[in-house]
Amino acid sequence: MVWFTDRHFFLLAVALYGASAVYSVFLWRKGFRKDDHANYFLLLAAFALHTAAMVQRGFSVAHCPVNNLYEATTFVAWTIVAAYLVIGLLPRLRFLGAFASPVLLGIGVFALMPALDPPHPAGAPPEFSGALVSLHAATILLAYGAFGLGAVAAAMFLMQQHDLKFHKLRAVLSLFPPIQRLEIVAVRLVFAGFILLTVGLAAGRHLPRPTGTPYWTDPKVVWSIFLWFVYLALLVLRRLRVPSSRNLAVSLIAAFVFLLLTFWGTNLLSPLHHP
Amino acid sequence: MNVVVIGLSHRSAPVELRERFAFAESKIPGALKSLRDSGIAGEAVILSTCNRVEIYAATPLEPAKAFAELKIFLLRWGEISGEPSAKDNPGSRGRSPHREELYSYAEPDSLHHLFKVACGLDSMMIGETEILGQLKAAYDLALQHGHTGARLNKAFQRAFHTAKHVRTQTNIQRGSVSVASVAVELAEKIFNSLGDREVLVIGAGDTSEKTARALLSRGAKSIVVTNRSLDRAQALAGEFGGRAVPFDDWAGEFEKIDIVISSTSAPHYILDRAKLEPLMKARRQRPLLLIDIAVPRDIDPEVNFLENVYLYNVDDLRGIADDYLKLRREEIAGCEAIIAEKVKPLLAARSSADFADGRRLPFSDLRKSAQSAD
Repeated sequence: MVWFTDRHFFLLAVALYGASAVYSVFLWRKGFRKDDHANYFLLLAAFALHTAAMVQRGFSVAHCPVNNLYEATTFVAWTIVAAYLVIGLLPRLRFLGAFASPVLLGIGVFALMPALDPPHPAGAPPEFSGALVSLHAATILLAYGAFGLGAVAAAMFLMQQHDLKFHKLRAVLSLFPPIQRLEIVAVRLVFAGFILLTVGLAAGRHLPRPTGTPYWTDPKVVWSIFLWFVYLALLVLRRLRVPSSRNLAVSLIAAFVFLLLTFWGTNLLSPLHHP
Repeated sequence: MNVVVIGLSHRSAPVELRERFAFAESKIPGALKSLRDSGIAGEAVILSTCNRVEIYAATPLEPAKAFAELKIFLLRWGEISGEPSAKDNPGSRGRSPHREELYSYAEPDSLHHLFKVACGLDSMMIGETEILGQLKAAYDLALQHGHTGARLNKAFQRAFHTAKHVRTQTNIQRGSVSVASVAVELAEKIFNSLGDREVLVIGAGDTSEKTARALLSRGAKSIVVTNRSLDRAQALAGEFGGRAVPFDDWAGEFEKIDIVISSTSAPHYILDRAKLEPLMKARRQRPLLLIDIAVPRDIDPEVNFLENVYLYNVDDLRGIADDYLKLRREEIAGCEAIIAEKVKPLLAARSSADFADGRRLPFSDLRKSAQSAD
């Protein structure tokens, strides 16, 4: 089926992310009172289609499919949903999906913009090829996924903390985990993301680059190092117990929103990534 | 055989009356034997708890006749157990023996009633599970002594199965309906685990004692008690296996503790924002749950605006408990629909058995039936 490309698979996956987001509204209105598998299975089905899209793209370019902004963006979303499907095996953390699906829908719709996915020149190797490049791109995008799910856990924390603080019945009726556990989950995800980001950046340092292209002043490199310091600072401050749990959660969400809003722009500005 | 039930419960009779009809466990096998020997019941189970006394019987008699016999049996039993004194029940002096307080049901209502009792729908605290254990114990006792048969075995086992189904499929048992259990539930919504949490009890009141006990039973690590009377604090701490601190020193405990239950009789706040703010700094952003069950309140509501502080007063806790109870009441219709579905096969099985019995009718009766069908 030539007409059914990997983008069609991804489109179907995004449709399921949308269905999950709509279903999440109902879960929200019901107060997350009953254990619910429907959302988990919706995201599982979406994950299967999403994986099929990535595998098909990977085979077509014969490389890890992280060669342009479309592929990079879908990889970030794939990481978020993959991490959620593992964490969501724990019943009390299954509702993370209700918070993750709107994020996945947003990322998915954005990724589908045609300009992000220029066709690879026939016969030519992809823009970014080679094992080290694949390692660099994959670890960094996995890191973004971990940061994303960490931000989702932080959002869940904020909602539950607000309900507890203001004595909303939903706080006790919902099947959400304790807020302390949500904070731990968010911090651990961010820590995992930070390790992956460090590995990815270290791998990127050793990549061959076009002659005359500066490394340390490249916008993407500067941005990535800035991001690395932001997450390092958050982890150190948390270790020192400086920010309150609420401020930490807000910071994790803000950091990820900043990442989402600037990732594509810095990529376009980077001569290293757009020689 | 028709399954019937006769009895009295917290809904129909006061405790003074219920206690007169109560069966001591040791006497139940004898009572069951007597019921069967008299021919009133082919099978029987007696349920006797603080809230109800009921006889479930599978009887060959017509329901009206069975009820009359069972009433006599129960009333005789009530009188055997002791006459009520005027002190116990002044209003009952000179009344005829308690006929209005006894209720009786024949099929299908008797089966519906059994299932409702098993599911906790007929309990004083809707949805409670203790009654299921009591019903199982009553059934086991009758079973062990050979006083149950095909009808009651099937009815009770199906009732137990339905109770489990209702518990998992509805919210009838969700939530806490007492101040102490709501406090525990809140603690479980805040802390990752109660296993390493220390509890400070300020003032040794009855509700704070219950709350501390509930927290301990859910795994809280230790209890620290403080009271204006150090002797009372030491006595309470001794009961909990905790320690007592002088009332003037309790603020020094804040660095270590995670949950505070306060119920002093102080006429003013004993903890306000100015006092708590520096204490919170020493806690290094660890959450603190404050349960203020004192009236007038011990803790200034302003402290709830501090980061990582969660303050609940007695009205907040009662409000949550009441909301839970309301939710449970809303679940009753759903539970009754499940019960109606689960009772149907029992009634259908009985109809089939009756049809099978029809084959044993005299030939002349069968011919009459056939002619009327034509």
